[in-house]
Parts: sequence; structure tokens; C-alpha cells
Amino acid sequence: MADVQTTNQSILVVGGGISGITTALEAAEAGYDVVLLEKNPYLGGRVTQLHQYFPKLCPPSCGLEINFKRLKANPRIRFFTMAEVAGISGKEGDYDVKVKISPRYVNEKCTGCGKCAEACTAEVDNPFNYGMDKIKAAYLPHGFAFPMRYVLDPSIVGTDDGKKCKDACQYDAIDLDMKETSFDLKAGAIVWATGWNPYDAAKVEYYGFGENKNVITNVMMERMASMNGPTGGKIVRPSDGKEIKNIAFIQCAGSRDENHLAYCSGICCVASLKQTRYIREQYPDCEVTVFFIDIRALDRLEDFYTMVKEDQKVKFIKSKIATITEDGATGNLVLEGENTNTGEQIKATFDMVVLATGMAPNSIKSVCSADVSCDEYGFIANDPAKAGIYGAGCARRPTDVASSVQDATSSALRAIQSIARR
Amino acid sequence: MAGNYDPSFAKEVFDNVDSGEEIKMCMQCGICAGSCPLRHEMDYPPRQIFTLIRAGRRDEVMNSKAIKLCTSCYRCKVRCPRGIPVIDVMHGLAHYGIKKGIIPRKGTAAFGGEFWKMIYNIGRIDEKTLPLKYNLLEGLVPGIKSTIEMAPMGIQMFLHHRMKLLPERKIKGIKELRKMLDKAKEMGKGGAN
Amino acid sequence: MDKNIGIYICTGCGIGDMLDCDPIAEMASDEYSVSICKNHPFLCGAEGVDLIKKDIEGEGVNTIIIAACSPRVNYDVFDFGQDKIIERVNFREHVAWSQAEKDENTQMLAEDYIKMACAKIGRTDLPEPFKAEEEYSKDILVVGGGVAGMTAALETAKAGYNAILVEKDPKLGGFLAKMKKNVTLPYKDISDTGAEAMIKAVSDNPKIKVYTSAAVEKISGGPGIFSVEIKANGNSATERAGAIVQATGWVPYDANKLGHLGYGKFKNVITNVEMEEMAAAGKITRPSDGKDVKNVLFIQCAGSRDPEHLPYCSSSCCLVSMKQATYVKEQNPEAVNYILYKDIRTVGQSEDFYRKAQMDGNVFIRGSVEEVGESGGNLYVSANDELLGEKIKIEELDLVVLAVGMVPRSLPAEIPKIKAPSDSKEADADGMIEVKPDSGFFATSALNLAYRQGPELPTLKYGFPDSHFICFPYETRRTGIYSAGCIRRPMEVGKAKDDATGAAMKAIQCIEATSIGMAVHPRAGDISYPEFNMSRCTQCKRCTEECPFGAINEDEKGNPLPSPTRCRRCGTCMGACPERIISFKNYSVGMIGDMLKAVSVPEEDEEKPRVIVFVCENDAYPAVDMAGIKKMNWSPYVRFVPVRCLGSIALVWVADALARGIDGLLFMGCRHGDDYQCHFVKGSELANTRLSKVSETLDRLSLESDRVKFIEVGITDCDKVPAIISEFMETIESVGPNPYKGW
Repeated sequence: MADVQTTNQSILVVGGGISGITTALEAAEAGYDVVLLEKNPYLGGRVTQLHQYFPKLCPPSCGLEINFKRLKANPRIRFFTMAEVAGISGKEGDYDVKVKISPRYVNEKCTGCGKCAEACTAEVDNPFNYGMDKIKAAYLPHGFAFPMRYVLDPSIVGTDDGKKCKDACQYDAIDLDMKETSFDLKAGAIVWATGWNPYDAAKVEYYGFGENKNVITNVMMERMASMNGPTGGKIVRPSDGKEIKNIAFIQCAGSRDENHLAYCSGICCVASLKQTRYIREQYPDCEVTVFFIDIRALDRLEDFYTMVKEDQKVKFIKSKIATITEDGATGNLVLEGENTNTGEQIKATFDMVVLATGMAPNSIKSVCSADVSCDEYGFIANDPAKAGIYGAGCARRPTDVASSVQDATSSALRAIQSIARR
Repeated sequence: MAGNYDPSFAKEVFDNVDSGEEIKMCMQCGICAGSCPLRHEMDYPPRQIFTLIRAGRRDEVMNSKAIKLCTSCYRCKVRCPRGIPVIDVMHGLAHYGIKKGIIPRKGTAAFGGEFWKMIYNIGRIDEKTLPLKYNLLEGLVPGIKSTIEMAPMGIQMFLHHRMKLLPERKIKGIKELRKMLDKAKEMGKGGAN
Repeated sequence: MDKNIGIYICTGCGIGDMLDCDPIAEMASDEYSVSICKNHPFLCGAEGVDLIKKDIEGEGVNTIIIAACSPRVNYDVFDFGQDKIIERVNFREHVAWSQAEKDENTQMLAEDYIKMACAKIGRTDLPEPFKAEEEYSKDILVVGGGVAGMTAALETAKAGYNAILVEKDPKLGGFLAKMKKNVTLPYKDISDTGAEAMIKAVSDNPKIKVYTSAAVEKISGGPGIFSVEIKANGNSATERAGAIVQATGWVPYDANKLGHLGYGKFKNVITNVEMEEMAAAGKITRPSDGKDVKNVLFIQCAGSRDPEHLPYCSSSCCLVSMKQATYVKEQNPEAVNYILYKDIRTVGQSEDFYRKAQMDGNVFIRGSVEEVGESGGNLYVSANDELLGEKIKIEELDLVVLAVGMVPRSLPAEIPKIKAPSDSKEADADGMIEVKPDSGFFATSALNLAYRQGPELPTLKYGFPDSHFICFPYETRRTGIYSAGCIRRPMEVGKAKDDATGAAMKAIQCIEATSIGMAVHPRAGDISYPEFNMSRCTQCKRCTEECPFGAINEDEKGNPLPSPTRCRRCGTCMGACPERIISFKNYSVGMIGDMLKAVSVPEEDEEKPRVIVFVCENDAYPAVDMAGIKKMNWSPYVRFVPVRCLGSIALVWVADALARGIDGLLFMGCRHGDDYQCHFVKGSELANTRLSKVSETLDRLSLESDRVKFIEVGITDCDKVPAIISEFMETIESVGPNPYKGW
């Protein structure tokens, strides 16, 4: 990694999700040098795990393919996967950044032929599918993974399986001695686009996530609906693989809640509306109930809400559900709460429940000793008095893909200005 | 016929009821109502109480059963996404009602009275005699009838060592306890009676 | 350039097990006189790459065919410089991983792909970037001097570029300057608008030239070479610009249409804009008598989220009403604000401001208005209170504020009409039909582009000239012109600033790319561009009509006048032209035609049909790749031909292929229609339209129309690809072999 030539005219983009990729491309296509760091073994971040975008119901890989094509065509971008920032110091126009690269155990000779995975017998929880299925410990993170290069799970290093993988590779691409490495970078501006993590649904203890098998989260639903997901795109009950007849969505599961995330994540309403479409397309008779506080379908997304409301099988009930109880025999779920429109008590049974959990930011504070402001929730505040480090996308505010890309584009210009000011 | 909105009652609550101002923060999600173990007994769950206050429905609120039923289980308060101390508000309203001379629900008041008397007399609660005494307030025949209805529960309590067959004795230091109770009563905060 | 061809076949990743490489080399040598054809077991390894490099240096190889993995991988490994022609043949995903081992048909497939590659490079030249005759301008024209426009100009200047700002009013500032306070991140409280400081910053900035009381009269040219005619205070001026940001903002929804909410009937019913202006002017009073206000009711979604008025949500009105409630409370702490809402939509951190508004004691009522009336000089509002479950009446109101939504200034007051085509069913009595929103003729005058396809940016259905793409919000159908702020979609001040900054970024990027002859999104970096052989033009105008980006004007005789800096290199014009006069250096009708001719067509009695599958290179091609990666199988009789966009397909390919005995042609393109996914907007739709007219050709050849089929394939449809192919092969089998075989 010693060949990374950077100067205080370089822009560092941290996070290779849709926001980070966009910032990197927009700046590079205007003629600036960019280094892009991604902690996963592949680029694309959280959107690669989505089945479709709202409101067009189109696959994220379509836009990613174009972005990867732009990236391949642009020599001004250097990108690193399995890379994380270990420290930032300095000031606008002159940052020193320490980058840590985790071992992939697979080098650049990998052709993606897949022989290592064939040879490997050990399986690990599949992080791409939120642990809903297993994957070989030598794996391609997902079908459209870019770069198309395998990864070895550290658990098989030093085992027979590790050796089997190495022996299976005809191209000497497996390096079991790979160690964590680090290198230093210079940058004139930093765009922090590290995105978000799904809020831990288990913390909303009255919904019994993790105990009630048929309670899943919205991000898990995306994987389930996706053709490269754990069920090959078929939405079924996790407990018994049965088809679903009656499903509930619980909005604001841990959002707009001072005990959890006090803010609104802005996307979960339309995300659930979108997921009602996934279900209704697969199950023409499935009943869907959405429990909500306010339905927040901003601007033209209102059309999507209007469209979903026209579906007679989708009901909307204003209520924050208070408890979920599992029926041990059937795995069905009993939801209780108050219908706040009628004042009636709700006690209804569903065969599956989706928790619309919110977005928790990946904060910069732990690695950054340079001056940067964050709000009380950990989102970067983009204080104009502290130029040089800019938050983009969901590192700055919880928001949808289009707004993240828009924000990432503006961050590219801010970063350029930080350099132009030198 | 439309009911008129009147903000004056809300103001009265904000100014006079313990934690009353906090109900401004209610966003009407209803989790308090769904979480309350006594929700089936309540005429208006907490969320609706807050709506009624907002609308200025003084009588409905002050005469509601709900505000005197709260058992302080804390579920609503712990879960409220707006951090409203629902329990404090419900107790506060009940208390404000008493201050204003609005008699609480008869049964609850009578039960409270018997409860207080027994604590004052023996320093503890006798799980057999308290319901019996309370039931007898209804009159002899209905009282016995009500008590017999409760027998299965009594047997279960006995089997689980929650109730003794012999009458409970006075606690040690009953005099000290009575002093404390007297003082509490004097301070006017310790109990309903 | 003199092409010295080298063919390099990788035998790794299982390719060597599937194919015999020697006959391929022999064939290439015999049929295409290729002298260098080498195999390597690990071509993408250092040794394999060296092998090629040595031939480049030693043998002068400058045209390289790499038959290995998909071009989607190892793009960097097989990059031998801009001065080489490189053609990748997908032996791995499309052959080795999806076909039968050491099979005669697999071998033929591989040989065909090599032949097609040889034919392709025979018609490929190195592209040279376009350079306009005029000098390029790197200045940015910003139309609209509100918060978005001022931000675009300031951010442009901060990055070192000049901006020209055109504002229709005598003063800059737009709605921002009319506001009393703002509410934005971190949404804890209201804050100063900063309008005056911003106006001063713009006015004082030497890099920004401001025209007030001004309008753009005409814009001609294209990115890098826009010529802008401005009329300001009665005087005319001409400016040159490289790119344009349109930030012409919004107008409030016409409250006169909201008579049912008492507007126009009662003086004390006002809009949120009137409320803001009154607050900014000093004091909020009752318009009827100038008295103090104590009880105020805000009606949210007044005309918004309403199919009769604005079906969409304006996304900022919730925050605006809460802000205005704050003004009322600041003026009189005893005042009561009622906020009657459908849903409170304070997304993100702005939920904090909702909490603040609640803490302030504002009364939020979820429900709908039944009546706004007046009694004893005061207003009352009857409503259905959803959460109380009752009809309620709120009396003694001093003021009712209608939270009206935002209408893009691009939305015309009246939908313009044009003469309907003779077969139109929607024509009115005068034979006219309404212009579609996605046409550049729909919007209210702002840019006055001298473009054949209309003077304004095409808009979406409510008149917003927004991008149709989620992943590319700055995608524009008029290259180098970007919309920003509330013209693009309804948004609050803070977001309009971010949006304008992003638009400025795109404008700068477009200028930089154009100045070196590169295309912008989605073929960013492409230096090829279409060239027109005008001597054979028949003035049919198809290219000028079909270009999705309005890049081609026409003269009065109907000759196309291409503007290469506006071009996005999709090739739609190339596909549209019946005379085949439009071609790129590395992409042409003849090139694909030659590829089709290179496909060997076995005799009928061999019972080996041949099918060509044209695939969109952005979506369908990766889907096929993915099917290969999953080791799915499909017929060895199909040959894939990637195209830039299905919009570039020429019907002559269909005729030529069928005339040669090819049994069928399948076209895999992106979804079209309202939720189109085509990255060139209309490509797949145009292809579908063209193909629907192909039956004529088929009739002439006495062929069955089933032989040509268009099918929508998304990038994630890889699982469906083999089935689609099988189904088509069955169709071909059932219609029988092409009778033109062997002619």
C-alpha cells in the first residue's frame, strides 16, 4: 500500500457506499484526485443490500453498475476495500490520516473463479444477509460484488479449511499470512460518508426481536425480497418457511423515541410502503397492516403512499404497538396496542411482523482528533466555521438515497473548495 | 353538534397538576394505552386523557376512572417515546381531583379506606380479611357472595404461600409506624384518606 | 491507424477445459490474417500481462483482442493505454461458465465471438475528443436569485469559477428575503435567515456578475459554448457561459382556489406566505381590523396532498407553521396556536423542532377541516378531530393560516396545446392536444433555449424539472443545465442550499469535462461522439426528433445541426437514421453490421439455429454475466451483441441478419414507461417502437414476426435470462429455420 501518493491537494472520502462513491466520482470527474476508503470487502455499502429503491421499484445494482463503470474509467480515484480510518489529525488543507487495512487473505491475483469456495467446507453467518443464512468461509460477498474478489473469513485461517482453499487456488491468490497493515495519507479535505447502521431492534425489548422468530426488521425484509437473498427472493416466515397470509409493519420501532433514537429516520415510512409492494406482488391474497404514528411520505413520494392506499389489502392503523407475544405452537404473533383513531384496544394475530427500525450514524468522533462538530446524535454538523471535514449522506442526516446522492454531490464541491482555498 | 375546544383546562392542568406540563409533549402514539395492564378497566387510557385535556374536557377527565386506577407499574412511563412521566401525571390528576373535592370512584375510595385502617391497626395487610371487610361494605349477602367468588383465587394464593390460614398478627413497632402514618396524613400527601 | 492485431486467449478459470484454442488461432489467421494469437493459463496475472506488453513493444501490436473474462472485470489489468484499441471477448461468463464442455457448439460459439471481435475492430478507430471552434467558457450562468440561485453563485465563486446571476426582481433574495426567520439544522430553534448577508456576499463578490430586473431572452449553443442573451432593466446584454443552473424557485399554491377554507371570503384567513411577510414586516395582526392576535389556527396541507389541488406534499409546510407559531408566541406568550394536521412530517433531526413546538404549548390536532366560518367578528373552525373521535369547533380565532404548498415556477398557468396528430384520440374540438410535461415546450419561460426540442427543461408530471433517477438526482435531459432548489422538488431552505451546491458541482464538472471533449454522465469520460455524413442526409428529422437530450437542432431545410457538447453518446440518433449517416469512431451501424455478418450460419439441415441477442450494456449485459457467474446454462446458438443503449439499434441490422439466414433476433433492454429505467431516457422505448414497425420488413421477406422480439430485462433479472432465451429458442424452433439460410 506504500504506493499511495497523496498530497494536500487530494480529497479523502471515507465510506464507499452510495454517498461516498458519488462524492468521489463527482470530484474526480471534475479533475481532482480522490482516495476512497471502504470498510467492507466490496463497494456499494448499504444500498447493495436493498432489493429495490422507492418509488420506482428499481434495483440499486443498476445505478451502481454505472457508478462502477465511471469509477473504472477514472484514473483519478484510488479505492481501498477493508479499509478504515484509524486516526485523523491536522486542519483544513493539511490533514494526516492513518488508514488501517484488514487482511482479506486473498490478493489481487484472484480471478473470481470460485475454486476456493468449492474447496472450503466451513460455513459462517452471512453478514450480507444479516446472518439469516450461512455462507462458505471463503466467499464472494455477493453476486454483484465490486471488486469481484473473494474473501476468507479469519476463522479459517490456520485451519485445514484455510489450507484447502489455498491448495484449490490455481493462481496463488490466497495468502494466509496476510496481516493487518496500515499506511498514512495526506488530504486537503475529507468527506465523511460512512453511512448508517440499522438501529438494534433487540433494544426495543417489548417487540421481542431475536426471541420471536417471525419478527424481522426492515433491512432483513430487503434481503428476503432480493433474488440474491437467503430465500432467493421469496418472502416466507423465518420460523417454518411458510408462505405468509397476514403481515404487520410496525413503524418507528425505536425511532422518534427518546429512549432510543429521538429523531425520525425519514425513510422508514416509504420503505415500509415499498415493502408492502414486495409482499403484495408475491401474495395476491396477503393482508398487510401498517401501524404508524405519522406517515411521512415527503414531496412527490406522497404519490407512492396514495398508490399503496388504493390497495384494499393494505390497512393503515395509527398506533404504536405496545407488545408482541409469540404463540409458541404456531409461531404466530399477537400484537397489542391502542388504535388511537378509534380508541379501541388492538389485539390482532399476524404470521409475520416487520419492525421499521431507523438509522444510527457511524460516528467520526472516535477516530478524529481534528476539529469537527457532531450533533447530539452523532451526525456530522457541517459547521461552516469548521470547514475541511464534511459529512455527506446519512453520516450527516438520516435520509433516502436520492437526497444522499444530492448531498454527496454538494460535499464534493465543498471538498474542492477546501483545496481551492489553499 | 361539535364540541368546543377550550384551552383553559389545559392551562389549569399545566399550572396545577404534578408534571402536568409534560403532557404537551404527547404525540398520540398510544403506546401508554397499549402497555397498561389495567387498560381494560380504564374508561380513557392515558393518551385519551391527554387528548381530552387538550380539548378542554374538564368533566370527562376529572370524573374519569382511569386517573385513579394507575398502579404505578411504570410500563407507560418507561416506554413513552416522548419521555412523559405518565404515572406522575395520572396520580397528579387524581390528586388534583381530590383537592378540588371531586370524590374518587366509590369502590376505590372505600377499598383505600379499609386498606388504610388495616395498616394503621396491625401494620400489615391480611389478604383474607381485607377483601372480606371491603366486600361486606356492600351489605351482608352481596358481600358474602363476592367473597365466595374470590375463593378460587384465595386457594391459589394459599397454595403458593401468598396467604396464611391464620389471621395476621400485629407487627413489632406498630406504634412507630402509626406515628409515621399520622405525620404523613398531616402533611396531606401520604394517602387518599 | 494501421492495425496490428494480437489475439490473447486466457485458458484459466475453466476456459481451457471447455475450448480448443488452436483451431481458433488457425481460423483467425486464415480468415482475418491475424498473425499473433496466443494462449496463457493466467492472462490477468503478471506473466500474462507481460506477454501482451512484450508483443506491444516487440511486435508493434496496437489492436488487442482479449478473450478471457467479462470486460466488467480486470478493466485495469488489461488497460494498455489510450492509443491502443482493446476488444474484450467474454469467454468466461458467456462461454466457459454457461456452456457444455468440449462441445462442438461451444467451440463454434467461441469462434464466432472471435470472428465478431475481429469484424468489430476492423471498423473501430481510436476516437479523438471533440473540440468546438469557439473558445470554451468556464463561467456558470445561474438563473434565479433566491436562496438556491445565490448559493449556486457563491459556491461556484468559492471554487474559483465565475458566475453570472440573473434575477427577475429588482432585488436579490427571493422568498428568503421575505422571511422573518428560518428553521434549519440543527432544528433546535428558529434562526436568522441570513438573507441580507447573503445578498451582500453575492453583490460584493468580484467573481459574480449580477443582473437584476432581468430575464434570459435566449440561450443558444451548448455546454462550454452557451451564448446567453439577457435583458436587464430594458437593456440587452450577451454573456457566454459553460454551464447553467436553473434555480427559478416556486410560487405558493393559489389560495383563491381554496374558498372552502375561507380564503377570499374572510380577511383573517391568510396564507403561510402572507403570514411570513406580515411577521417579517413587524407585527402579526388581524388583517380585518389590525388588532392583536391571540388565537391562531394553522390548517396544514391546505390544498396539498389533495387530488383536487396539489396531490403531492410540499415537505416544508409543517416546519413553517411551527416556526410561525413561534412568532405568535414570541409576540404574545399567552397566545394559543392550533395546528390542524394530517400527518406531522418533521423528518430527520427536524423532529426536534416538532418537540420544541410541543413544548411551547402549541395545540396539535390531527384531523380535517369541515368548515371555516365567522361569528361575531371572529373566525371559527369546525373540524373532525380524529384522535378525540369527535367533531369539534374552535372559536374566537383571530387568524387562520393556510399552509399552502409549493408550485414549481416552471409549471405553466395554462397547459400549452399543440396540433394533434391525425390519429390522436385525445384531441379536442379544435384538433389540439395538451403538451406533455416531459416535453421542453411545457414549462413556463425561464431559459428560452434555442433548441429544436423546446425552450425549457422537460419536467416531470407536476411541472418539476427534476431527475427521474433515484441514484442520479442531477441527471438532466438538457446537458449542462441543472435545476436546483424548489424548482426541482419542494424543499426547505437548508436543503435548497445543499441542492444548489450540488448543482454548482455538476455545472463545474460539465465545464471541465466538456473542455477536454469528454462526455458527462452516464458515459462520463467517453471521448467518442457522433459524426454526420451530411451528403447522404434526406432531412427526415428522425435524429433531431428522437435525441433524448435535445442535442440536435435543424436548419430550415430540416438538416440536422448537431451540438456535440450537448451529446451524451447514447447513439439514439445513429439508430434513428434510416440512411446510416451517423457514426462514432468506435461505434457504428456498419460495425455492428459486420459483426452480424461474421456470425457463421450453419446450413438448415445441420439444425443449428442462430440467434442474435442485442443487450443493453448497462443492465442486460451484467445480468447475462451474472447468470454466467451463477453457472446457469443457455443455448449455444445465441450470440450476444452489447449495445450502448437499445436506442442505438438500427433496423437495417434486423433486415441484414435475417437476410443472411439468422433465425431470430432478441432485444434485451431496460424497462420503459412511466417508471423507465433506461439511462438514456427513451432508448429502450424507441427501440420497442422501431421494432414494432419491423413487421413491414419481415413481410417483405416473407418471414414470421415472432423472429424478432423485444423484452425488458433488468440488471437483477439474471435468473430469468436463461429462461427467456429458452423460450425464444422454442419459438424459433416452432417457426422453423430461416428460409434465407445459405443464400
